[in-house]
Amino acid sequence: MTVLLEIMVCLASGGAYWWWTQSLTFFGLAPNLIFAAALSAAILAGPVKGIAWGFFLGLYADMLGSGVFGGWALTYSLMGYGVYIMKHHFDMDSPFSQLVAALVLSWACLLFYQALSLVFSSINPTGLKIFLAEPFLNALAVPVVFQMFFWLKRRAGIL
Amino acid sequence: MSREKDAANYAIVFFVALSVILLIFPASKLAHTARIAVSYSLYPSMHYGANYGHFVRNVPANFLSLLETDQENRALKDKVRAMEIKLQEASSFTSENERLARELRLSRSLPWAGSWARIVNKTPADWYGSFYIDKGSDDGIEMNDTVLGMQGDRAGLAGRVLEVYTKFSKVLLLTNSAASAVCAIAPSGLEALVEGKGTWLLKVNYVPEESALAEGAEITTAPAGLLFPAGIYVGKVKKVYPRESFMNFITADVSPAVDVNTLKEVFVLRRNLPMELYSAVQGGAK
Repeated sequence: MTVLLEIMVCLASGGAYWWWTQSLTFFGLAPNLIFAAALSAAILAGPVKGIAWGFFLGLYADMLGSGVFGGWALTYSLMGYGVYIMKHHFDMDSPFSQLVAALVLSWACLLFYQALSLVFSSINPTGLKIFLAEPFLNALAVPVVFQMFFWLKRRAGIL
Repeated sequence: MSREKDAANYAIVFFVALSVILLIFPASKLAHTARIAVSYSLYPSMHYGANYGHFVRNVPANFLSLLETDQENRALKDKVRAMEIKLQEASSFTSENERLARELRLSRSLPWAGSWARIVNKTPADWYGSFYIDKGSDDGIEMNDTVLGMQGDRAGLAGRVLEVYTKFSKVLLLTNSAASAVCAIAPSGLEALVEGKGTWLLKVNYVPEESALAEGAEITTAPAGLLFPAGIYVGKVKKVYPRESFMNFITADVSPAVDVNTLKEVFVLRRNLPMELYSAVQGGAK
């Protein structure tokens, strides 16, 4: 049952991101809710689930875009593993640490995806505007998404 | 703790291997099938979102106050709400009709057959790369169909159909770093390659050094290109760069004919390419 619920939450995260990008973009910018969901899941869940959430949310992001297929899946899977390692050294439960982690990991993910795109298909997918602005929006979104996931974990037992 | 670490290591190796397989075999049938399967499984969100997004956006502002009234008042206000929605719909349809009528007048003069489609998804992270339209194979859309956008009262090249599903299609924009088109530069008709840069600008490449490439020159698709019909407006030369010492041609920035930021509907041209040409197009011909 929780697996079904997790699949629904996963799809809802992608759907919410899709809806936000259609209805609430500001100068063509929106927080990357898929990234926020992947990071929140990695913080809350165990290592295997955290990595799996990153992979499947990454596949959703790959499907929405036109870049190298599998690029975001790889990026978010590695982020899930990275967060698992980081959790041993930092307290990731406080909103401030989530905000800082979201800021740093957003840039790390964008740079890694950029490198993957250049290596695998010689394309340059990330615009400067996205690179400069999106991490800050993500940093604001992650603590909120984390609280929602934390509530779902407590009430429904997911993650 | 050690078991957890082992599990984490096995998981990351498994998912990294899976991702790398998807990355290094992008053209293989297996990877393409996986991509289509994933896309189909994720369609409900987009399908219902596209169908009901318009309705959700028009819920009246006083919806919360309606909930607080008693049964009788709610029924009465529901009626008002329904009428307000219809009024808002009617007003948005009127303005849409005016715009489409203006554009259709020009589309009738286009020598190509096709159909209009509405843009239903743009992703900020891929703003100049691709978007989805609400027409698919059910509506006769095919791979590599040419996609035009209207800028003012003139049709311009927006891109081509990259993936076709039953009710949706993905359009690869010309501004995508992976997109290109063989074009002719006015007034001489000199042919060169226009490429996307992943930004709002295009780049024209392989222009001979001795050619008189001037800023403001209009660029249209060339008959030599296989992907697009000839004569479609592509853009205007914005800035010409001098020749680099190690190159024997010059390049220039091009303002695209179609501004992705203001695009709401597109016109999809049926190409009906012969089968023998289709495989050449699939192989990456421009």
